[in-house]
Amino acid sequence: MVNLDKLRETVKEMLTREDVKYVVGYEKGTYGFRVSPSFAFIPEDVDKFIFSPLCVNNLTIYPMLEEKLPLPKDEKEDARKIGIVVKGCDSKAAVQIIQEKGMKREHVVLIGVPCTGVVNPRKIKARFSHQGKNVDVEEKNGKFVFVIDGAIHAIPKEELIFDKCKHCENPTPVLYDVLLGDEIHSTEKEDYEEVKAFEERSFGEKWDYWKKQFERCIRCYACRNVCPMCYCKKCMVDQLSPQWVRRSTNLSENAAWNIMRAYHLAGRCIGCGECERVCPMGIPLTELNKKLQKDVKQIFSYTAGLSLDKKPLLAIFSPEDPKEFIL
Amino acid sequence: MTEFEPNIVAFLCNWCSYAGADLAGTSRLKYPPNVKVIRVMCSGRVNPMFVVNALQQGADGVLIGGCHPGDCHYVQGNYFARRRMAILKKLLEYIGIDSRRVRMAWVSAAEGNKFADVIKTVTEDVKQIGPMQHFRRSNEW
Amino acid sequence: MTTMEKLVLPKLGIRKLIIGMLAEHRFFGPVDDDGATLFKQIKDPAELDLTFTNSTVPPKALLFKQTETLFKFSLGRSVKIDPVDITNERTIIFGIRPCDAKSLAILDQVFKGDYEDPFYLTRRKNTVLIGLSCTQPGVNCFCTSFKDGPASSENVDVLLTDIGEKYYVEVRSDKGKHLIASMKELLRSAKAEDENNVTYVEEKAIAAITRNMNIEGMVNKLDKMFENSLWKTIAMKCLGCGVCTYLCPTCNCFDIQDETALEKGARVRVWDSCMYPEYTLQASGHNPRPERVNRIRNRVYHKFNYCPKNYGVTACVGCGRCIDNCPVNIDIIDVINKAGEAKV
Repeated sequence: MVNLDKLRETVKEMLTREDVKYVVGYEKGTYGFRVSPSFAFIPEDVDKFIFSPLCVNNLTIYPMLEEKLPLPKDEKEDARKIGIVVKGCDSKAAVQIIQEKGMKREHVVLIGVPCTGVVNPRKIKARFSHQGKNVDVEEKNGKFVFVIDGAIHAIPKEELIFDKCKHCENPTPVLYDVLLGDEIHSTEKEDYEEVKAFEERSFGEKWDYWKKQFERCIRCYACRNVCPMCYCKKCMVDQLSPQWVRRSTNLSENAAWNIMRAYHLAGRCIGCGECERVCPMGIPLTELNKKLQKDVKQIFSYTAGLSLDKKPLLAIFSPEDPKEFIL
Repeated sequence: MTEFEPNIVAFLCNWCSYAGADLAGTSRLKYPPNVKVIRVMCSGRVNPMFVVNALQQGADGVLIGGCHPGDCHYVQGNYFARRRMAILKKLLEYIGIDSRRVRMAWVSAAEGNKFADVIKTVTEDVKQIGPMQHFRRSNEW
Repeated sequence: MTTMEKLVLPKLGIRKLIIGMLAEHRFFGPVDDDGATLFKQIKDPAELDLTFTNSTVPPKALLFKQTETLFKFSLGRSVKIDPVDITNERTIIFGIRPCDAKSLAILDQVFKGDYEDPFYLTRRKNTVLIGLSCTQPGVNCFCTSFKDGPASSENVDVLLTDIGEKYYVEVRSDKGKHLIASMKELLRSAKAEDENNVTYVEEKAIAAITRNMNIEGMVNKLDKMFENSLWKTIAMKCLGCGVCTYLCPTCNCFDIQDETALEKGARVRVWDSCMYPEYTLQASGHNPRPERVNRIRNRVYHKFNYCPKNYGVTACVGCGRCIDNCPVNIDIIDVINKAGEAKV
């Protein structure tokens, strides 16, 4: 997918810059098909960096996770830049956050990696549930190739990649400072087939489906914490006065949580799918986010994460906004 | 058997729709008593969290009343509210909640009649849809 | 507890056994729920999925409930407080793995300390644990690192081991003995051949556990490395999401909230996580664990230093759920092993 030497060389060079604090990339995980975020402060740290079809994490969360604590009197904040290795979808998150003024463009240095699809950990775990040793996966001729105990496995991509990758419209990062490799142009279009099919169901069917899903939610907030767009200093569920969503886990509160989180992502979610990947219960959160993505595109002609110049969806309005539903 | 009487929570903006409701009252206009009014300064203040919370706490329908486009006391609040509610309704529909439960109306301070009509319409519609049970808080511990 | 009885149950008899138990108990067992295995109450043995490795949410959720009403109150002329009826129903948790059973033994010490928690303890007293040995440990299982094993019957009332055509049934407590007393006709005494099969199955399972955590001397080592840079390295990756704490069988942090509805309400205990900054946020605004590095270090120390010092046991049972589910691959085995190698 990407020349590893070039990746490491680029990152090492970036670390020699005076204005870069550290670079976040990927390194091999500790078991099976895992990959872990990796932080390089000095050139030696970069030798661990990899890029493979297993690199599912959206690393744009890390600039938003910086903790800014009170400093001793004469100490100044280390406001140097952070380098991030981004795939196509990840770069959209960076664009969206910058658009919303969540962070400054100058604060990040984006190392763009044109991506041809990543492996869905659930799918590969289902097929190789007892793989202990860490495995390297490569993409060759439309197949994911890897070696386990001397045996070579070559599995067609479509069987293992995320659904999001199948309709990816932006395999090449939309924003980058450095691009590692040639641009990939995609003819895929997200047609929202599943969303449209679900919309046709009756109210009763729809509620039964989501009721079952919401009842399974354990309110661990993994979806919220992994999402680069969820960076509120004080999340609505952590508000105590007034308390909007109670901490009890029952259908009512779980529904309120999931509805409101999906709502807060309207016009902001860029579809990286991390929320669904990390949910321990496997709740299909991307279905909710996709629905709003489709509607926002259709009604307001707005797509999140594409242009730095656009204004955020709910920060603007148009006199032509829908009015049929208003009495 | 007693007929189902819906609980409608109405968020009315202070300058237009609340005044309109006031006018309906002083004019002694008749409209269904199911509505419970919460006065907000502007419809743009209404956070969709309020709507969801109202539905959780026992509201069968929620109405957001604002000034007519162009007449908002705070210039643009009602435009933002319009966008928000359009999105919220779509989301609720996708979950399986009839979006006729969440309504918006532009009612000016002079439109006492319209306010009464709006309440009649919303109450009738929600009566037809039925009680909101989906994610109502049981408050039984 | 020593083994009281050694019996076998033909595979076909398991259905009758469970039906017999269903008659007089609330019966919880592993159920496949849309891909995730959960311990749920069943009415028919067919609902069970015994091919699971381990449940997503540990069975601690059945005794230490995620949402627990402590008492109710209502407003009349004065406030009236109503105690909650803690269920005294006889309960069976079927199919609990030895690691999760050990976690209950650890939780017992937490809830039976200076203050006894009636909610957990009443349920615990009325619950019989029927364990199921692991024949196919998960990739991240490491119970053997704690001198435990996939077929350990230490903390259960009855342990079942699948030995092919039959289940080997080891009765470890009076509770267990009492439970199966009425179903004796389904069981017969174990023979030497059965015992050999059990040993074979157990050894095979132990051999399948490939990961090891070097826990030796860890308490002392951790005492010396509180300010070590290792914690910062890990904390940089951590999202503070809390999944590890919610799925950990020994984690027991909780929050207490009052839920009110105008004239009535209840005080409710809910699970909380030390990984959230709000957990230690004080009313003054001061937070003694302001950064992720403080919180992640605290979690590691709680499990591998404070608990061993306070209760004499490491508060980790090697189930591997935190490793399986951490979004950023923070691997506790790797963390402890690195801590062991760190220079102090």
